[in-house]
Amino acid sequence: MAVAAKAKSQPIQGTIVGDQVVRFDAHQRAQHIIMLSSFLVLALTGLPLKYADLGVSQWWIGFWGGIENTRLFHRLFAAVMAADCVYHAVYVVYSTRVLKRPFPYWMIPSVKDVRDMLGDMLYFFRIREARPKFDRFNYKEKFDYWAIFWGMPVMGGTGLVLTFPVVAARLLPGWIVPLSLEVHSDEALLAVGWILLVHWFFALRSLLSRPVFPLNSAMFSGTVPLERYRHEHPLEYERIVEQAKGEQP
Amino acid sequence: MEDTPGVNEQKESSRMKVFLVMAGMAMAILAAVLAFSKVDSAYAIDQTGCLSCHSNYKMTKANGQGQQVSLYVAEEALQASAHRYIDCTTCHTTKPHEVPTPLTKLSLAQKCGSCHDYQFQVHRESVHGQQLLRGNLDVATCVDCHSPTGNPHSVIRVLEAQAPAYKKNQAQTCGKCHGNEELMSRYGIVEKVYESYMRSFHGKATRLGSSDLSKLDKASCINCHGTHDIKSVSDPVARVAGLENLARTCESCHPGAGMEFAKGFPGHEEASPKHLPAVYYVGRFFVWLTAGVLAFGAMMVTLELTRLIPINIKVKPRKKARPREK
Repeated sequence: MAVAAKAKSQPIQGTIVGDQVVRFDAHQRAQHIIMLSSFLVLALTGLPLKYADLGVSQWWIGFWGGIENTRLFHRLFAAVMAADCVYHAVYVVYSTRVLKRPFPYWMIPSVKDVRDMLGDMLYFFRIREARPKFDRFNYKEKFDYWAIFWGMPVMGGTGLVLTFPVVAARLLPGWIVPLSLEVHSDEALLAVGWILLVHWFFALRSLLSRPVFPLNSAMFSGTVPLERYRHEHPLEYERIVEQAKGEQP
Repeated sequence: MEDTPGVNEQKESSRMKVFLVMAGMAMAILAAVLAFSKVDSAYAIDQTGCLSCHSNYKMTKANGQGQQVSLYVAEEALQASAHRYIDCTTCHTTKPHEVPTPLTKLSLAQKCGSCHDYQFQVHRESVHGQQLLRGNLDVATCVDCHSPTGNPHSVIRVLEAQAPAYKKNQAQTCGKCHGNEELMSRYGIVEKVYESYMRSFHGKATRLGSSDLSKLDKASCINCHGTHDIKSVSDPVARVAGLENLARTCESCHPGAGMEFAKGFPGHEEASPKHLPAVYYVGRFFVWLTAGVLAFGAMMVTLELTRLIPINIKVKPRKKARPREK
């Protein structure tokens, strides 16, 4: 009960606190921190295996004292990442069922996302002068979120096969083992490539657009200044400002 | 004046100083010599004094065909050799100068076999040994895998890290011949066994694994193909011939592996539409997926940049500003 009460007193997504808009609550931020740290460890202990013939991989693995140790860390943090996914699922159920918060319908991909993407294209190619108006999460943010729902089962499933190849070959056809090795390594490259190229770019893009701390820190602090919110998520901004007006006549 | 105690004392103390300085320097020089000299307590036993002549690299003799044959024995190699404590006469007989030299590949192997008889007998039954008996000189015999230079004087114990037969070096040692395309094509061995092993999980684990003896439990060539008893893949008794044998070989490291596990093992052959098609096609799909998704991402980033950068460079807002919210 005490936990629920404490959680209830926490600022809810899409409310105004001072001159900030709450974008992520403490649990969501914690989930992100766990995800990013386990992702980094997994990438740093996994990539040298993909590129085992490079000198730098051999040096790096040697630095850890051999593959036996990096393998241990890789499996340990794979468990952390899997636990983080469970944490997220439990959190979604808990916040909607127990805390009676609205179901996160804003994460569901919609026709508007497709329209926004096309609108963005027209904007980028200077056919349209205004950018589409985004709601709480734009199509890119939704893509990043839902990509994990593809990446996690693929990486987790193939990772389990590679950890327990004998068990896997008893339950499934034998080719599942070399297939898992291939898929695990390809999908890892895709994930690392996406994070380095796209995710980090959009996290750091405020560096190019306006004089703020050189990182979109919303994912860590949980809040975004109202002024920036008006700019980045105009639809939700309008809605919450209206709501705030209605609440304090 | 000389007997003045003060002067004497002074002389004494200055002599003392000189002695101390000299002694200090001598110690420093000795330490330096010890530090920089190769201190190797392992000197080869040479009870018969053979090296007094044979350590001369110019030493040659004319053999029966009138060719010059080197009789030089490299001392350094000998000091690191597994056999450094065995006297020359053990292999070269007590009348070494009457032994016809040089030895042939077969007679050299027989020579090793005079002590290592079991290994020699097993090797004789292997594909290498069988070919050797037929006079094929391409094959690997004792020194090809146990001596880094192929010189019988520099055979190194298997458990020493610099030994060619040490776990971490085995693939490279086999690769000396099996990585030679021209040589292998003569025997119809078309797969690039060395490269494919190094690409495989076994190869990567061996390469990146610790050199620690207790951690050398990764499969190298010998774990699947055998050591002295290596058989041709087409020989039905080979450890890798047929699914049943292969499964048994897998099980020697992966308990309970079974036939299905062996069926999934790609071996040295890359996945193709014929060999493990599921692996091949899913692999292809992922190559295109990765390329497609990353290309899409790169496009989004580039497009966003084209809109971001000019806005920042612009110092003063233009009169006819774009209807972009600020």
